[in-house]
Amino acid sequence: MKIQKLLLLVTLVGVCLLLLTLQTRGYGAAARDALTMVTAPVQTGLARASRATFGLWSTYLDWKNVRAENHRLREEVQQLRVRALRVDDTDVENQRLRRLLGLQEKLPLTTLSGEIIGREWGGWIRSLTVNRGRGDNIPRLSAVISPDGLIGRIVDVRPGASIVQVLTDPASTVGAVVLRTRTPGIVEGDPRGTLRFKFMARDGASIQSGDVLVTAGQGGLFPRGIPIGTVRTIDNRGSALFHFADLAPAVDYARVDEVLLMTGDTQRDLTAFFPAGG
Amino acid sequence: MRGLLVLTVAGGSVAHATLTPLMSVRGVTPDLPLIMVVLLALRRGPEFGCLAGFVTGLLQDAAGGGLIGVQALTKAIVGFGIGVAGERLRVSQPLVQVPGLVVLTILEGLARFALLQIFRFPAPFGELMIYVVLPQAVFNGFVGAAVVLSLSASQVLRERFAGLPS
Repeated sequence: MKIQKLLLLVTLVGVCLLLLTLQTRGYGAAARDALTMVTAPVQTGLARASRATFGLWSTYLDWKNVRAENHRLREEVQQLRVRALRVDDTDVENQRLRRLLGLQEKLPLTTLSGEIIGREWGGWIRSLTVNRGRGDNIPRLSAVISPDGLIGRIVDVRPGASIVQVLTDPASTVGAVVLRTRTPGIVEGDPRGTLRFKFMARDGASIQSGDVLVTAGQGGLFPRGIPIGTVRTIDNRGSALFHFADLAPAVDYARVDEVLLMTGDTQRDLTAFFPAGG
Repeated sequence: MRGLLVLTVAGGSVAHATLTPLMSVRGVTPDLPLIMVVLLALRRGPEFGCLAGFVTGLLQDAAGGGLIGVQALTKAIVGFGIGVAGERLRVSQPLVQVPGLVVLTILEGLARFALLQIFRFPAPFGELMIYVVLPQAVFNGFVGAAVVLSLSASQVLRERFAGLPS
């Protein structure tokens, strides 16, 4: 048994030495060719398989990277969207404040800017709370305006805040005139949250849809010429003494954030300082 | 089983030339066929080790493009020697097998160098040892350790499952 093992070793070593000798003397090409014929197809197959496997692996890695990148980019997009929204919001606020400041600087009246800090928007009362109060020397019944027009009047002055009765409040009435025809009348709040213009039929025969209404300036509460709204529809009541016009408010009361409070003299005509009058 | 072994020996040695470059670390690759021959010789004895070494080396020579017979000769001797050692010495422990593999790689490198000298293929001994043989020996040690541990673990699992009532 031992001899058999040794014989095997000796034989194999002999074969190897023979092969090596033949090769060094230039006769080994045939053996090499024969072996290559066996190994080459296997090597080709393995190379293809390994390439395919590693191709698959690198595809997987690429996919994983793309997925991670996609996730990262999505987060970045979200952050940028939020940032863009903030920028937009700041931009809009900036524009609003610029308009308000512009108006404040233009107006030949004493005004105080304020910020809306609360809204009462039920059908019974329509009011805004502004962050100016007793400490700011706000007189009761001061007019509250925005660059678009009249908002209402201060009805209650409290420490640190005041309550603004909005024009759409059912208890609100303001003397107004149609800018084009000078037709006088009264703008009243409506429980539905709209404005209506009550005028004498005889005086207002030529009122049209689209006519702008401004404050009349009578009574000394509001200066003349502050836009109130635009005539939307006219309710012709035939031979009745008064007719009514439904108005589109000049100011979007629900969305106004900054206002001006008129704290001084109100005996001026402001028509030229507002877009509707200008 | 025998077919599988033949396939492992033949396929593994050819795969060496194709696949080991993928395992290259700083230009050093493990000698997977040598590891295979050593482990097979330890389990199957000197005859199988010798034959496996011869076939493996021969195919490696052919696939690698060198002098055919150099690695066939060295690996046949290594397979035989380790097979005999396995029968006479206690070499079943991984702590013996892994350093043994490192030493065998160095010995195989020396033998290959000697053969190349004999058959007039000059190679610088110092550089060959420092940059090729020794790093490959270390790499073989690591790979061998992984293989030995995997085999031990699979054997333990096999025994555990064999002991379970069906």
